[in-house]
Amino acid sequence: MSARRIFYAAEPTLFSVLVAIVALAIAMVIVALSGNSPAAALEALWEGAFGSTSRIASTLNAMVPLVLVALGWIFAFRSKRVNVGLEGQMLIGGALSAAVALEIGGLPLAVHLPLAVLAGLLGGALYAGVAAWMWARRDVNEIVSTLMLNLIAVQVISWLVRGPLQIPGSDLSRTAPFPDSSRWPQLIADTALRWDVLVPVAALVLAAFVLNRTTFGFRLRLTGANEEAAEHAGVRVKRVGVTALAISGGLAGLAGSSVLIGGQTGTMTDGFAAGIGFEGIAVALLARNSPVGVLPAALLFAVLQQGGGLMEARLGIPSNLVLVTQGLVIVFVAAGTFLLRRRRRARVSAAGTGTGQGAVVDGSAVEGVA
Amino acid sequence: MKQANRNGVDDPLVRMQGIVKRFPGLVANDCVDLDIRGGEILALLGENGAGKTTLMNVLYGMLRADEGTIELEGEELDVRSPRDALGAGIGMVHQHFCLVEDMTVAENVALGLSPGNPGRWQVGEITGRLEQLAELHGLGVDPGALVSDLSVGERQRLEILKALYRGARVLILDEPSAVLTAEEWRALAEALRSLAAQGRGIVLITHKLDEILHVADRCTVMRHGRVVGTVAVADADKAQLARLMVGRDVDLRIPYEPSEPGAEVLSVEGLSLEEDGRRLLDDVDLTIRAGETFGIAGVEGNGQWPLVQLLTGLRQPSSGSISVGGRRVERMDPAAFTAVGGGLIPEDRHRTAVAEDLSLSDNLIMKEISTRPLSRHGVFDRGATEDRARQLVEGYDIRTPGISVLMRQLSGGNQQKAVLARELVREPVLLIAAQPTRGLDVGAMQFVYEQLSAHRRRGGATLLISAELDEVLSLSDRVGVMVKGSIVATLSHEQTDRETIGRLMTGVAA
Repeated sequence: MSARRIFYAAEPTLFSVLVAIVALAIAMVIVALSGNSPAAALEALWEGAFGSTSRIASTLNAMVPLVLVALGWIFAFRSKRVNVGLEGQMLIGGALSAAVALEIGGLPLAVHLPLAVLAGLLGGALYAGVAAWMWARRDVNEIVSTLMLNLIAVQVISWLVRGPLQIPGSDLSRTAPFPDSSRWPQLIADTALRWDVLVPVAALVLAAFVLNRTTFGFRLRLTGANEEAAEHAGVRVKRVGVTALAISGGLAGLAGSSVLIGGQTGTMTDGFAAGIGFEGIAVALLARNSPVGVLPAALLFAVLQQGGGLMEARLGIPSNLVLVTQGLVIVFVAAGTFLLRRRRRARVSAAGTGTGQGAVVDGSAVEGVA
Repeated sequence: MKQANRNGVDDPLVRMQGIVKRFPGLVANDCVDLDIRGGEILALLGENGAGKTTLMNVLYGMLRADEGTIELEGEELDVRSPRDALGAGIGMVHQHFCLVEDMTVAENVALGLSPGNPGRWQVGEITGRLEQLAELHGLGVDPGALVSDLSVGERQRLEILKALYRGARVLILDEPSAVLTAEEWRALAEALRSLAAQGRGIVLITHKLDEILHVADRCTVMRHGRVVGTVAVADADKAQLARLMVGRDVDLRIPYEPSEPGAEVLSVEGLSLEEDGRRLLDDVDLTIRAGETFGIAGVEGNGQWPLVQLLTGLRQPSSGSISVGGRRVERMDPAAFTAVGGGLIPEDRHRTAVAEDLSLSDNLIMKEISTRPLSRHGVFDRGATEDRARQLVEGYDIRTPGISVLMRQLSGGNQQKAVLARELVREPVLLIAAQPTRGLDVGAMQFVYEQLSAHRRRGGATLLISAELDEVLSLSDRVGVMVKGSIVATLSHEQTDRETIGRLMTGVAA
């Protein structure tokens, strides 16, 4: 429609881009203050992420779990469930995937790999299902339960790699290498990129479709927008919440599976989720909970992660700066969402007049300021 | 505190002159003049969106006027924040209260009085003065009670006490009656008169004509951001005020047309609901026929809401049965209620009827989304849903820039129209209308009445629950009076009059 409308529609996107730029700029100020050249730092960052085919492949590979986790967060969040247990669901999903990879032998790739992937999905979904069940049946707040389940998951992995799944005849706390029949084949030889890069793409398309075009997605959004209204409209809100959490956990489980059977090392070690379960939440925040927005947001985080390594190696700037930048992004998004909401309220008044319906002024103008 | 100038004419306490407030694309206040006099209750009347609240927010310092001046007792006043306004003696009670739930009444008053935590001694002092103020004006609230334990009426009194405690000489109330029962409103009106009698200027923002006639001394009417007139209430009548407010003649009477009820639609037997040992609903029997409107009169909180919850299947009864169309519904739930041809206009629009963060279109189709042609095999058809939404927008005269605007962007009247559209378009056999005109202005109210009577003419049965006695009396074929969870009397239209029902409602035997 009109240019103005396009601008308003694009505004959240512009805002996210702005947040990323400002966060990077502040990081560069910190670089300058520490006596390094921001230009050199940026160059290292860029080169580390995109400098060669192999580096690009690594960056794309790093995006895989980030996108999946972010989508998981969005699924739960759209129904107003807060799943902060994505890290734990990654671990359990990944572990189940690893168990299938290691314990079932003699299968061709066409069977073994899908089984391992499915195990990841299922593991994550079931683990989130524990919290979902407690929420639905016992009214246990899912924020607390999912967070606590993370801690349990960490211990479970710790036990697995030192116990039942430990590499035979060794003291190392890791599993044996996964057989090739259970691993994603390489997409580009001698790089980190494997075919699992297509999983998040498929998940994204599917998630966007389910949320926006299906009656289930509609019920989910309705529940998230107003639980009571949803109930009145005949939606079983508990069922929707449980399903949303299970899907959310399933996506996290897929991410965990991808890190293992789509990863470089091909074994499972302690803490393989490496905080991705939380980083993915930040990605979703930056994407403003829109499935499509997840791609650029995940790219930014992957670039920081990959480029940060080279920055440290070449200039001696601690890669912790990357964490600082990510932190800034989160702070800005949180603060900015608030500002954006105020502006949108103000705009509401304008929208009303177009049709001679000024009726909005009384109410919304008050709220805009209150 | 009335002040006389040299000419002996009362000077107003507050004089707002030439106030202009613009919002992007809209002039909310267009050169508005307003006088608030000490010792009187001034009603500020206007439809939703007329600019009443905006004007008062300018006075209270929540909004800055683009043009115009404000004088307090003849001296120009520059209010930049509510703090300034309070300092100058101007207090405001908003529709949405600003209270801390986990604190006591006295602590809430202490908040903002001085920096830092309220010390014990200070709270003690406050308690004393609060009790004094409360007694003086009949605004009783226990200073030691937690706000979370207070009823809505008590919270409102606390808000007023907060303003009084800070020495407010001008007190603005934004639609105070919207949250009150009739009883509470009468008590509040008394308190307001007592406050005015002490020389304070009271401003009552409202669109309810009865209230103005009941309590106000003068009435300033606003329409589309301008003042269209100020009248002395003693010389005014309802029709005149309504005409000023809407800009055309309005028929405020709701004509009753006799009906010929058909077959039984809803039949309820021995319906009871117990919760924590309390009987919220006590052995209710009820029958409503096709084309019949059954009204429930009663003071709010006497079991009306539990009855709606049971009938729509939001809760399950402790005992009793519900039959629709002669067939017993074994387990009612909201989906089953819709399936048997039920429609519901819930009492609390914002909380239960609409999802304000979803689009108008989503709100219109939310009950039909799973049916063809809007969706097939769980996937919905964008084109079909949009057509449906547009059709409803047109058919029910919902004023909106488009179907994709967020629900919260619409006025209360248009939101309610959307709810009616959604519920009535399926031509329900049974419509439950709970407080269907609450918070609506005259125009929207008329629309609701028209839709309800169209539904009745179509042969639909209606259960009408309303705190507006007039509404119940003139729309219902039969009226049941509800007291403490049971229907104590059922009267036919001819038998009903305000006095009888009022007596029954308050539990005084007829």
